[in-house]
Amino acid sequence: MAGIYVHVPFCKQKCSYCDFASFPKEIGKAEAYFACLYKELKSRSLALKDKTFNTIYFGGGTPSFVEPKYIYGAVKQILTCFNIDKDAEITLEVNPGTIDENKLKIYKNAGINRFSIGLQTANENTLYKINRIHNVKDFENAVELLKDFNLSVDVMIGLPDEDVNDVKKTLDLATSNESVKHISVYALKAEEGTPMFTRYLNGELPSDDEVADIYDFVVDYLDKKGYKRYEVSNFSKVGFESKHNKNYWQRGEYLGVGVGASSFIENRRFTNTESIDEYVHAILNNKVAEVFSEDVVGDDAKAEYVMLALRTSDGVNLQAYKNTFNSDFTFDFINSIKKNLKYLNVTEKTVKIKDDYLYVQNTILVDFISEKQ
Amino acid sequence: MAEISKENIRNFCIIAHIDHGKSTLADRLIEMTGQVAERDMEQQILDSMDLERERGITIKLTPVRMLYKAKNGKDYIFNLIDTPGHVDFTYEVSRSLKACEGAILIVDASQGIQAQTLANVYLALDSNLEIMPVINKIDLPSADVESVAKEIEDVIGLDGTNAPKISAKTGINIEEVLERIVTDIPAPKGDDSAPLKALIFDSYYDNFKGVILFVRVVDGVVKPGTKIKTFMSDKEFDVVEVGTFNPELRPKQSLDCGEVGYIAASIKSISDIEVGDTVFDVDNPTSEPLPGYKKAQPVVFSGIYPLDGSKFNDLKEALLKLKLNDASLTFEPDHSTALGFGFRCGFLGLLHMEIIQERLEREFGLDIITTAPSVSYIVHKTDGEVFTVENPTKLPPAVEIEYMEEPVIKASIYTPPDYVGAIMELCQEKRCVFEDMVYIDSKRVKLNYELPLNEIVFDFFDGLKSRTRGYASFDYEVSGYKRSELVKLDMLLNGDICDALSLIVHKDKAYARGRAIAEKLKEVIPRQMFEIPVQAAVGGKIIARETVKALRKDVLAKCYGGDITRKKKLLEKQKEGKKKMRKLGSVEIPSEAFMSILKIDSSDK
Repeated sequence: MAGIYVHVPFCKQKCSYCDFASFPKEIGKAEAYFACLYKELKSRSLALKDKTFNTIYFGGGTPSFVEPKYIYGAVKQILTCFNIDKDAEITLEVNPGTIDENKLKIYKNAGINRFSIGLQTANENTLYKINRIHNVKDFENAVELLKDFNLSVDVMIGLPDEDVNDVKKTLDLATSNESVKHISVYALKAEEGTPMFTRYLNGELPSDDEVADIYDFVVDYLDKKGYKRYEVSNFSKVGFESKHNKNYWQRGEYLGVGVGASSFIENRRFTNTESIDEYVHAILNNKVAEVFSEDVVGDDAKAEYVMLALRTSDGVNLQAYKNTFNSDFTFDFINSIKKNLKYLNVTEKTVKIKDDYLYVQNTILVDFISEKQ
Repeated sequence: MAEISKENIRNFCIIAHIDHGKSTLADRLIEMTGQVAERDMEQQILDSMDLERERGITIKLTPVRMLYKAKNGKDYIFNLIDTPGHVDFTYEVSRSLKACEGAILIVDASQGIQAQTLANVYLALDSNLEIMPVINKIDLPSADVESVAKEIEDVIGLDGTNAPKISAKTGINIEEVLERIVTDIPAPKGDDSAPLKALIFDSYYDNFKGVILFVRVVDGVVKPGTKIKTFMSDKEFDVVEVGTFNPELRPKQSLDCGEVGYIAASIKSISDIEVGDTVFDVDNPTSEPLPGYKKAQPVVFSGIYPLDGSKFNDLKEALLKLKLNDASLTFEPDHSTALGFGFRCGFLGLLHMEIIQERLEREFGLDIITTAPSVSYIVHKTDGEVFTVENPTKLPPAVEIEYMEEPVIKASIYTPPDYVGAIMELCQEKRCVFEDMVYIDSKRVKLNYELPLNEIVFDFFDGLKSRTRGYASFDYEVSGYKRSELVKLDMLLNGDICDALSLIVHKDKAYARGRAIAEKLKEVIPRQMFEIPVQAAVGGKIIARETVKALRKDVLAKCYGGDITRKKKLLEKQKEGKKKMRKLGSVEIPSEAFMSILKIDSSDK
């Protein structure tokens, strides 16, 4: 398993919680940006000729906001430069209100076969508050338009003034169409420097306990609707787990291109600059745009593997661990396992965090990462 | 330079309230006598510890020797022996006073005489020192030289009108101070030919020379080769080097009668000497030690533990080193179920405790946990046994105790009259017994109270400061023990007694304090994987309960899976925080919990 992530750092307007690399005012730089992106893809591909990739993911920003020719061009460039599995999962993030039939035709031609729609909430007051550009009708139109595809919907919890009832309505809307096979539920985190942080400081956001209540409800409610939790924030109908995401949790390799994108290739993690100008400058000068790089080997790699695997409902697969590290998980982490036995399901084949403790996993993870450092 | 006879030596100290300009005047004197080259002159040369400079206080005594050519044409040696200003260090003050014949009393021209100054003036008078008042900060717009001069006469009974009126900061009239030292402060007495008697007024450990003794030679002479001994120790030492303070050590052929200087005698172990003791010559011994040697009695006790349990030996080394320079610090090994191995330390007061903590952290780079301070109680058991207890965990079960006594202090609170009401209210809450109230002048009132020492180790100072906007000052001395209804208050976490949180409190305060501490602990103990009951108990009876609820959300649940590095960093941060926790059973307790119980203002309840 290996994936390619393409970052599209443009959007119509910034959501009030967003601290990702996305720049509404810089849409004029799209032409230059994508030219560089294609160049980066090509130069990165030279060292990756012997690898096969089976997922491609366009994230943002709002990938559906830019002219569709850029997306088309990126997919074509990837197909030209890399070995891509013929059944590859190719996902595009779209925002309701930024997609129409013309765009869809081009996406389809490019080979996009999965869409991830950012709904966040069905409460229009909240949508306005968090500076989203769409309304409920836009979402319904988007789903109608995309219903022949494999769809995922993004939902947020912990939004200002929202309670369980709001979230229930959101989930009902999100799952109203059969084609929605996948739901991601992210808890809002007020990052410093975002307008949401002011709301947080003003005490307008629900407490952790309230969010936990909502989360418990979500897990329960989605389960009843046939969406099983396979990772802390991800739910799907059986067989429709996001391959691209799963690759992250399994510590698979991935290449990220574009600003702010992270990669993990041959035991090295690296991340590009978040600035479009810096990125363009570096790429045009035939350099990499990396601002961070580290090799993760030995015990660090083990700790990372466990930290990621324990996020999933499958947990750590003991055989897979052994295949990867040539040592036994239960031997490597004996103390943490013993200490946290109460919170773990330990079987002959797997070790996983019990359902009830998946949402308080940091305390457990800290023990595991401490044991290997 | 020709030898200067003892008639031309002046040994003196400077008494001043914090911030009234003691260190600045000392700097000027040193500067004007040309003892320190100007380029080496760092501001406030006597306060050599970083901590002293930052806080603007003097903790350690630092002697300095100056040469002065007086207007009468003669050369003089001035030995300035610095004194700490705070009440906690009264013991050090009295030691340094014994090495002097006179004292310069600095009075701030805008603020007048302060409480602590007065206490030290009385100490100086008790030691028969000649007191030479100096009015400082005359350059300030708010200076009121005349009324301060009058105050000196009214309050201390010294001639204030003749006092040099100076500005140590700008250098006005410093010359006059130097001249007056010559004329007003007596030369040392003593007999050169008598057997050696030298007072050890301080010491420190030097990595090359061993223990360096700071001495005042009262009788006789000491020089390299002299075989010395002290009254409190059986060990003999050969003097290797003697010298004076310039202010760095400068070797000399001998230290004569009346001189102030140092002795290095290859003293290896810091426990071999006691500050305050008398040095004598083994071959020509004196039978009488100098008077006034008194072991400093610690009055406040607290546990100090290394944050990292493996640093126990480092902590021990650090305490041993501090002890060498600080005779009043006491410590003995201790063990707590929550904090592991550490030391029970005794201090002269709260400031002293704070300073030791800070020095351990800064000078020795140690991370430490300090438990709530306690005082020493006298326990009378039903079987007739009587002993003192400084550590609440050492208190026998209530049924075995017939009664207990606690230390009481005589406290003088000086305040502008506006705050008398607020202070009286505070004192009432603190079990204070009112003694009397004196109007010193229209601007200042002195309130005398007797109160249990136990009450001031909690939050008395903070209460006093906040209720008087910092205007009130406070002096105290331990006056004895009084019978009192005391109980041991235990805090239970998840059902287990946390010994490091136990306190001895007055029976009537147990309920309120137990409840306040439980509430405070609920705040500072982070939520964990399970619910944690926090209980306060007296004699096995639960008197208060709070609950630290189980953690509900502790997960990295944000989008964009690819940024694993950020996730790792967040967990790393959490890991670092966790490392600083102490464990009691399965409960993790942050180190600040052990001190936070001090920060409870019981009057809020």
